[in-house]
Amino acid sequence: MNKLLEIRNLHASIGGKEILKGIDLVINEGEVHAIMGPNGAGKSTLSAVLTGHPAYEVTGGEVLLRGENLLAMEPEVRARAGVFLSFQYPVEIPGVSMTNFMRTALNEKRAYEGKEPLSAKDFLRLMREKKQLLELPDKLNNRSVNEGFSGGEKKKNEIFQMAMLEPCLAILDETDSGLDIDALRIVAEGVNRLKNPHNASIVITHYQRLLDYIVPDFVHVLADGKIVKTGDKTLALELEEHGYEGLEG
Amino acid sequence: METILLHSNESFERVFLNEPVDLHIVQEAGSRVKIVVVDFETSRPRDLEIANRITIEQAGEGCVTEIYGLAYLRGDERVTTETHVHHQVGSGRSEQLIKFVLDDQAQGRFVGDLKIAPDAQQVEAHQTNRNILLSEGAQMRTQPQLEIYADDVKATHGASTGQLDESALFYMQQRGISKEKARQLLVGAFMREVIEAIGDQHSAVREQLLHTIDGVVE
Repeated sequence: MNKLLEIRNLHASIGGKEILKGIDLVINEGEVHAIMGPNGAGKSTLSAVLTGHPAYEVTGGEVLLRGENLLAMEPEVRARAGVFLSFQYPVEIPGVSMTNFMRTALNEKRAYEGKEPLSAKDFLRLMREKKQLLELPDKLNNRSVNEGFSGGEKKKNEIFQMAMLEPCLAILDETDSGLDIDALRIVAEGVNRLKNPHNASIVITHYQRLLDYIVPDFVHVLADGKIVKTGDKTLALELEEHGYEGLEG
Repeated sequence: METILLHSNESFERVFLNEPVDLHIVQEAGSRVKIVVVDFETSRPRDLEIANRITIEQAGEGCVTEIYGLAYLRGDERVTTETHVHHQVGSGRSEQLIKFVLDDQAQGRFVGDLKIAPDAQQVEAHQTNRNILLSEGAQMRTQPQLEIYADDVKATHGASTGQLDESALFYMQQRGISKEKARQLLVGAFMREVIEAIGDQHSAVREQLLHTIDGVVE
């Protein structure tokens, strides 16, 4: 099994306050890892640090993506190298159409991989194909990114972008929050269909519910900036029943 | 200064692209004015100050005035846009949207003088000024001057100056778009609203400008 991501003793802070206090985690190709934990444990900080959010400072440790120093890369380079974050709160960008946004992103990634940009025709065909996967409407193309989208549409749009960009590591940050059961099913099916032996995902969630649909190989409990317990999918059920009491770092 | 008397029910629409405006229009009843001023030159001589001055007198009832302004300034460029919109009689409408994008040490100034005379009832007047500063050295001054003497009117005024949305920049970077290109996309999106206001009569200019702001991403 090929090692995709390796996190070693990662420490990170925001505004001088330490949030991650020594995370160790290895993710191999083909694996799904769930990260659960109480509010404030550092779940969203971990996704922000992995993607290079400028507000967070890494104060120790290292992260390797296929053996390369991920933390030394600019956020856009991490993305082109295949790290994708499905945002907990997708950002609205008035005036930038989905088409323009997606085409720019895809062609930047292709340039990074040494490929030619897609022609307008091939690009639109790809958009149509991937939209169907998420049951998104055709009119999406001309709408501004996330502007006026419902909560469910925003989350579907995240997974749609993931389908377009085909990342090797997808981080789903509370993708289930604010979704009704139908939207949850569509989003989870989308994620499952994108799974292949060479990519992996980190599913950050508060609740067991999403893990009924996206079945994890490993479940980690994050508490007070550290992984305090790791198990298989039955750990999520246990947590659902007994809560996080007794697991605090 | 160019002075124009617009007769009843006549229409006047003009786009000023990279040329200073000094225009005074007197509108008779039911006439319509649309002015779009775009300062977009990338190779203007340094230290040149551009002053745009537009004066509108709504002298007859039921007039409509629309003024759109957009300036994208770099280096030491300086642009002042001054509007004087005077509703002398009632039931007229005026709409103003003025935007500045300022980079480097560029300086922008907007003076918005809006008067509604005591008898000019049932007037609707809106004045909006939105600005983006792309650098620490850029400066914007906004000076609204509102004198509203009639009581049965709908008048709004809004002004804001800020930076590009950091969360939008990061979101785009997370999709692989370089920070520079992300900035260009956001600036283009900000400018688009003014350019899209250019009517079909001047569609060639409109399409050319839209192409210019989109061109940066292709």
